[in-house]
Amino acid sequence: MIAGGVALLIFGATLYVIFTEKLNRTIAAVTGATLMLTCGLALGFYTEEQAMSTVDIRTIGLLLGMMILVALLEPTGFFQYLAVQAARFSKGKPVRLLVLLGSVTTLLSMFLDNVTTVVLIAPVTILISEILGLNPAPLLIAEALLSNTGGIATLVGDPPNVLIASAANLSFNDFLVYALPIVAVAWLTALFLLRYLFRRELAVAPENADAVLHLNPAEALDDWPTARRILIVLGGAILLFFFEKPLGISPAFIAVTASSIALVWVRPDIRKILERIEWSVLAFFVALFVLVGGLEHAGVLSQLAGLIARVSDANPIILGVSLLWLVAGLSAVVDNIPITIALIPVVQSLAHSGLNVTPLWWALAFGAGLGGNGTIIGSTANVVVASLSERTRSPITSMLWNKRGLPVMLATLGVTTILYILAFQFLSR
Amino acid sequence: MQISECMKRNIFSIRRDEPLSKAVRVFSERHIGTLPVVDEAGKLVGLLQLRDLITLVMPDFVKFVEDFDFVTDFGAAEGRRPDPALLVQPVEKHMSPPEAVEATSGLLRASALLHKHDLHDLPVVDADGKLVGIASRVDIGTAFLKGWTISQGGGT
Repeated sequence: MIAGGVALLIFGATLYVIFTEKLNRTIAAVTGATLMLTCGLALGFYTEEQAMSTVDIRTIGLLLGMMILVALLEPTGFFQYLAVQAARFSKGKPVRLLVLLGSVTTLLSMFLDNVTTVVLIAPVTILISEILGLNPAPLLIAEALLSNTGGIATLVGDPPNVLIASAANLSFNDFLVYALPIVAVAWLTALFLLRYLFRRELAVAPENADAVLHLNPAEALDDWPTARRILIVLGGAILLFFFEKPLGISPAFIAVTASSIALVWVRPDIRKILERIEWSVLAFFVALFVLVGGLEHAGVLSQLAGLIARVSDANPIILGVSLLWLVAGLSAVVDNIPITIALIPVVQSLAHSGLNVTPLWWALAFGAGLGGNGTIIGSTANVVVASLSERTRSPITSMLWNKRGLPVMLATLGVTTILYILAFQFLSR
Repeated sequence: MQISECMKRNIFSIRRDEPLSKAVRVFSERHIGTLPVVDEAGKLVGLLQLRDLITLVMPDFVKFVEDFDFVTDFGAAEGRRPDPALLVQPVEKHMSPPEAVEATSGLLRASALLHKHDLHDLPVVDADGKLVGIASRVDIGTAFLKGWTISQGGGT
């Protein structure tokens, strides 16, 4: 009982510090994990071996492998190349530019980390906007919102999906079959709503529309030989993702293998590549796993399961929709990774009580992804575009985000809820 | 050699409370890159550089995109004018710290300071911090060359 109380206290205090941003989230999580293990050892509810086995190597491996591929692709100028091509195809028409840049960002972030994608596409977006004499804010907001939404469609698109897939044993193809169609509708909803919300900004006809036609995409692509190699490896990895189940291999194995092939083929300066890996994210994941593992071994989660066993008597559709909105609401105001990691054991404990939790996993994925659109701090991509725009003449304010992002979040959640209810039997398989 | 021997004594400076528009005029009329900012007593209080003014009209993307050699036509970003409200602001709002060298310093110290603070011209002050001259990279660089011709000229 004391063990449970102590574990819960440490977990709660760590989440509080993370969510209030009193301390950097990685430092907070690592400190919390250390504290959890220390108390676990002292009170005898948690051992070092147990702590280590809670770290889901499949999640870490997949993230690390994909991060290495992106780190290799980043300096080649491939992302700039795509943005410049999109600008040329738009012929300087603002609406087309929004659709094309939004689509490029979405497609990239379906397979690569969407923060990196936005970090690389946003500066070029500002450049294109300035050449055209347009306000970059609508384009930047659209890129963040559309890539957040698109990332939900694939297993590798978003860290919460990686976590959920690993916990629920969902395959890459499961995401394409169950999540992609619903996300596609939500994405189109977001696009049309953005078109409407920014109708005034997008009605401007740029005087210098021709200037984008003079952009030279070939110059933007600094290192095509390297980019080509990484794209081949990445394509191979994505192809293997489709066959992970029949081949009996994990996405983590595929990603790590692909990254080592790419490293051998490109032979870059390894220190520079490793510098680009987001170690803080990986450390954050490891620490959160150890924290949640502490809760589990202290018996908190089984007590929790007993407590919410009554919930499982409720209508499963109502349960799913409630979870969708609850997670979305939470991840609009706080980071969706700790929310996902904290809720996964809860859903798992519901599964032990005999409930079919498959639709709940999808609710968790949709909620964690769509909720991030609601506020300027809802997802890292939002924070990235907002902080970039602060250094321009037209900064994106929290107020502007509430007027544009929040309606998008509510509309996509509404559409997703309707589709979720209609497809509930399908999603329960 | 002391820096005071190679510096320019005919200096243009601006008072800290004068408007940016005056600085714009001095820069273009005198064709200079650095304008020392002084107080009422002639004491150096800051530096205004040509690039501080150029930044005001630079497109925002210059800060984010490292190389933009794929752009040939800068369209609306070309020929930008600063906000007129900026030009009535006092120069002290835009100046950088008053890096300077004492008149008695040697050339090496002066060139070290130029490089450390990434300046094109280095103001020279007396013991009281009063502005007495200014030395450009070229002034200091050519001062190094003085006396080379005799020994290198073939033993005349």
